[in-house]
Amino acid sequence: MRTVVRRSFVIGYVLAVTVAAVSLAVAQDAAPAPGAAKGQAKGQKGGGKGRGPAGPTGPAPRMADGTPDLAGAWMGSGSNSGDISKGLKPGEQVIMQPWAEALMKTRKSQDDPEANCLPTGVPRGAPYPWRIVQTPERYYILFEGNIHSFRQIFMNGKHPDDPDPTWYGHSIGTWDKDTLVVDSVGFNDKFWFDYLGHPHTEKLHTIERYTRTDLGNMTIDVTIDDPGAYTKPFTTTGRARLQPNTELLEYVCQENNIDLVHVNAPAQLP
Amino acid sequence: MKLKLSIAVAGAGLLMMGLPIAAHHSFAAEYDSTKKVELKGVVTKFEWTNPHAHFYIDVTDPSGKVAHWNLELASPNMMQRNGWTRHSLKEGDVVVVVASQAKDGTATASAQTIQKSDGTKLTFMAAPPPPDVK
Repeated sequence: MRTVVRRSFVIGYVLAVTVAAVSLAVAQDAAPAPGAAKGQAKGQKGGGKGRGPAGPTGPAPRMADGTPDLAGAWMGSGSNSGDISKGLKPGEQVIMQPWAEALMKTRKSQDDPEANCLPTGVPRGAPYPWRIVQTPERYYILFEGNIHSFRQIFMNGKHPDDPDPTWYGHSIGTWDKDTLVVDSVGFNDKFWFDYLGHPHTEKLHTIERYTRTDLGNMTIDVTIDDPGAYTKPFTTTGRARLQPNTELLEYVCQENNIDLVHVNAPAQLP
Repeated sequence: MKLKLSIAVAGAGLLMMGLPIAAHHSFAAEYDSTKKVELKGVVTKFEWTNPHAHFYIDVTDPSGKVAHWNLELASPNMMQRNGWTRHSLKEGDVVVVVASQAKDGTATASAQTIQKSDGTKLTFMAAPPPPDVK
């Protein structure tokens, strides 16, 4: 066995993964790669803050009735999944109730529901694409992972008086000009807002605002109102980028989640 | 068959958003990025499974003792999008792997680069395109 352990001058994981992300997006004329649609959108340019390669340029599309069309595979989210306090709109602050701060300090990475193949809840994102499907009465957000699940948004609907607490809550949608506003209540208190373990309670109320600013980009602002765990509401902001050659693939996290037995550490950044 | 390759530099944007690229658990909580191991061994199994692909290698030291290493990769979905296939590794392949070892000291590591005996180089999430198919 040849084992070389180098303890210095090592490029850290973040850099290594960054290099890994200098990805080869392969489009084959005869046989498209799984998850990739044939052909490449025209007019792609580099740069931007979203996830993955820059999306195609051009105006945001609309449906036949004039409603903004949010269809497509997207990557990105409305908050920082590592630390929700790092993705705030200017002037915002995350101030936890003392009990919530104390709870967060006790949390360990291996107990993160997301790492245990449970849903991320709202608004935490995952490093996988997702898709919005618009029908007249319901919009759906389909997640590749994590987990391979979906949210329902009842357009112009009403929240039930006493919803059962769930991972994604109960969501109703309205349009504010060209922005889809998703109002959600009825969450359970099980999911974490981020890898650091920011907690919340069943009093959580979120308002997400999705705006397709052009063909390839969407801004997502999320107001978090949870008087059970935070002293005042705060608003995060993020961006999603269209993945024009991407199809969602199956992702069954429970299939072989064998790594957590090697994790015994405080909740921490990725 | 004509291959079109486009380079997608995603890292900076991902880091700005604080998002891991292919991990659903904290890498830093499991692995020590300063503890690199270089392993030469023979692939005994390749698990093309979620949430992470894994491969296992037997590494034989000069005395003949065999160590069984468990090496973690990204998720198959993101690996597929970056050139990997379920055939990229197979039992019997001789590989040299550079990896970050688990903090618990077991023979577990996150593979960063994999060099096969035919010269093919793979990484945690990216692989060269497959050979041309007639």
